[in-house]
Amino acid sequence: MKLDPVTLATPFFILLVLAEMVWARRRKAQAYEPRDTLNSLLMGLGSVLTGMLFAGTVAAVMLAAYDVRLATIGLQWWAWSACFVLDDFAYYWIHRSGHRVRWFWASHVNHHSSQHYNLSTALRQSWTSVIALNFLIRLPLAVVGFHPAMIAAVAGVNLIYQFWIHTEAIRRMPRWFEAVMNTPSHHRVHHATNPQYLDRNYAGVFIVWDRMFGTFQREHDDLRIHYGIVKQLGSFNLLWTAFHEWIGMARDVWNAPWRHKLSYIWRVPGWTHDGSRDTSDMIRTRWQSCQPDCGTSPKP
Amino acid sequence: MTAQVVQLLASLVAIFGLAWLAKRMGLGGDVRLRDEDEAKALARAASCGFEPVDTVLDRAGIAALLRDESGRIMLLRRHGVHFAARLLASHEGARLDRNFLTISTGERSFGAVTLDLGGRAQEWAVALRRLGGVT
Repeated sequence: MKLDPVTLATPFFILLVLAEMVWARRRKAQAYEPRDTLNSLLMGLGSVLTGMLFAGTVAAVMLAAYDVRLATIGLQWWAWSACFVLDDFAYYWIHRSGHRVRWFWASHVNHHSSQHYNLSTALRQSWTSVIALNFLIRLPLAVVGFHPAMIAAVAGVNLIYQFWIHTEAIRRMPRWFEAVMNTPSHHRVHHATNPQYLDRNYAGVFIVWDRMFGTFQREHDDLRIHYGIVKQLGSFNLLWTAFHEWIGMARDVWNAPWRHKLSYIWRVPGWTHDGSRDTSDMIRTRWQSCQPDCGTSPKP
Repeated sequence: MTAQVVQLLASLVAIFGLAWLAKRMGLGGDVRLRDEDEAKALARAASCGFEPVDTVLDRAGIAALLRDESGRIMLLRRHGVHFAARLLASHEGARLDRNFLTISTGERSFGAVTLDLGGRAQEWAVALRRLGGVT
């Protein structure tokens, strides 16, 4: 049986989802929707299965990189700490490219396609992240000399950390914690479709990366957050949830003039050669240009 | 291999159990549009820069049509306890049957929506025709 950190944490995930559902029943029944929950959890299961399917390939690539390592870093405590921090730094860039390059977005969009923000949304993971080759951004860690097993372990812990921040049940953590760590408040911003929140707060564990690279956005208490994606799915079809952006990208590439075909793969989501759709930058610019009259809906 | 199959089956039981519990606990619920103001706010949130000048609600509150100054028409329809929107590109896929206007966006996954617009169905069918055919 596979006993990685995420597998070990799964029973706690289930218990915490259950606890949040009890909270929702008392405080906010619309925080959950049974079909959405089912969709999210099945996406999570599918992600685990595809992860298992491709685990050998990913391990082989990481080990090949480790074979040409610059140094051999052992299993000392400081190596685990350093690997955790550097892996989180790599995660920031994996995540940022997941929002800024359509190829990676086609995979990552699955995590954002729910209009809900609860602990089941945390488990709504992509079936195609290995195919999208996101893991290549972690290769430098192996080349530097961290063992692939260590990288896999800290990446698992990183994923576990990110579970609890997918909730509306916690408003704010202590100020010092909000300053350094990714929190429910910071990550609500990340899942929002409000123009001022688009493509912000990419952090996994440490929010400091967003502060360092200019992508941090504070949550405003007086603003109602709309979760999901700019063009909401409007469907609970599991297969459509898993593959809709890949299908959309393939259609765009097929229909585009030859000189623009590749642009539909590597450019930012929403980019079109004829300007017929919006990128997040275009939406934000439009929102900024019509302030204070448009695009904000105060909390009811 | 057996352990993995057991793990998979246990996961499926947990997943369907949680979804069943969510339903059993009454989470989600029957959400309807309260009024035109709510539909307008949702339309603005769905498409930055879309400023509705005319709105019509389905009588049951499960959908709405909104028009902006430039004649663009947005369909807003319930999706679970939230609403999903589409800017309509053409009148094709719109069918009028007395007070009922059925709109298909051309997206199979989004489906067709039938709105009970009462006496305003005819007027909105005309507005949709102004969009023209598929471009």
